[in-house]
Amino acid sequence: MTVSTFFTGAPRRRVLVFPVTFSVAVAAVVAVVALLMPAPALAQEDDPDRDLRLAQPDFTVITLPTTLRLPKFRSAFRVTHRFGRPLGAGDFGDLLEDFFGLDSGAQIGLEYRFGIFRGAQIGIHRTSDKTIEFFSQYSVLQQKDNGVIGLDAVATIEGTNNFKDSYTPSLGIVVSRELGEVGAIYVNPRWVNNSNPLPSELTDDNDTFFLGLGARIRIRPTVYVVGEFIPRVGYEPGVNHGTFGIEKRAGGHTFQLNFSNGFGTTMGQVARGGTASDDWYLGFSISRKFF
Amino acid sequence: MSIRVLYGLVVVALTVAAAACDESLSDLTGPTPNLEPTLSSIQHEIFDTTDSSGRLACVTCHAPIGGRAAAAGMNLTAGNSYAALVGVSSIERPGVLRVVAGDPENSYLIHKLEGRPSIVGVRMPRGTGPFLTDGQILVIKRWIETGARND
Repeated sequence: MTVSTFFTGAPRRRVLVFPVTFSVAVAAVVAVVALLMPAPALAQEDDPDRDLRLAQPDFTVITLPTTLRLPKFRSAFRVTHRFGRPLGAGDFGDLLEDFFGLDSGAQIGLEYRFGIFRGAQIGIHRTSDKTIEFFSQYSVLQQKDNGVIGLDAVATIEGTNNFKDSYTPSLGIVVSRELGEVGAIYVNPRWVNNSNPLPSELTDDNDTFFLGLGARIRIRPTVYVVGEFIPRVGYEPGVNHGTFGIEKRAGGHTFQLNFSNGFGTTMGQVARGGTASDDWYLGFSISRKFF
Repeated sequence: MSIRVLYGLVVVALTVAAAACDESLSDLTGPTPNLEPTLSSIQHEIFDTTDSSGRLACVTCHAPIGGRAAAAGMNLTAGNSYAALVGVSSIERPGVLRVVAGDPENSYLIHKLEGRPSIVGVRMPRGTGPFLTDGQILVIKRWIETGARND
């Protein structure tokens, strides 16, 4: 199966459009396995978690999690790209020559999440710098029940060098406020332990506490603008992570084009901040719900 | 026990376990696994001892031996190194302090160990290496950063 057929659902005989990396192929196989899982019982077909929520169409804003619930035994996949060319380098002609950074290398992330029971999801996110993050999220409150906010508890553990070095756990909550069907705003306070990759004997701060702020606003029936800003205290190298973008929802897919001041997509990477305040990078994310 | 409680316990247990997995200093300091950011440790592991990589002990030259003065007038033997380093002007670059307590970036000792372009003479330890590893230099920087105490 090619990436193109995987995302479009077109017949498998479709001609290969662009090369498939090994890691993409592995992720595709995982996703296919999930698709081939036994059909849920009829009662689960009525699961309200399967309904489209216009204010929260996806499980992440850009980097931060939303409070969208993943139905039990269902899954979702996401691929992220953060291209390495600073958009401000050179003049516009240089930028055009590099096709806005797409000719440069990118930090690529592959993510797969699965609903283990109602309101709870677990997942894995691997980035091409060999960081692997395992994450878990539990829906504590839903706005549709209390009329005020949604609240999730979130935890992650990531390790560099394919989860062999420098382990960085994080704990936090996600508070969401849906604005009717217009969108949603998010506050994600989070403690990230061991965000400094140096031994504690060589550091003043080994932890980061950040306050993730995010928003998704629907500007057209299926088009949203999204943004995040993540101020930090504690170990805080680089600059505070900032990113914004535009996205299009198409059925179970979400296509997002974003601009960021760093490459981070895991919580440890976000805690370590962006690269420099005047460097911005093009990126995109594509997500797919398997329900 | 409900699955939700079990799930919560597993998440908390994994987080606590991971939080205990800080990097080991010995993994960073390579040929001197016992090196710590204190003067006594640096004295023993760096100044006094040739390590397993073949990197020469500093006192090979920076010590008064057989009537010969310590190289660059800097006596790095135990009991003398603090007075030779902290707040003392470099002979090679007068006005630049060998160690500026709290400021490793402006400490000439670090410049010499890293072989920065601004140094006069050659990178230390003299010769073609082995030089100190990045991890060993990081430990010395940390000693300076935390006040370059005579500890």
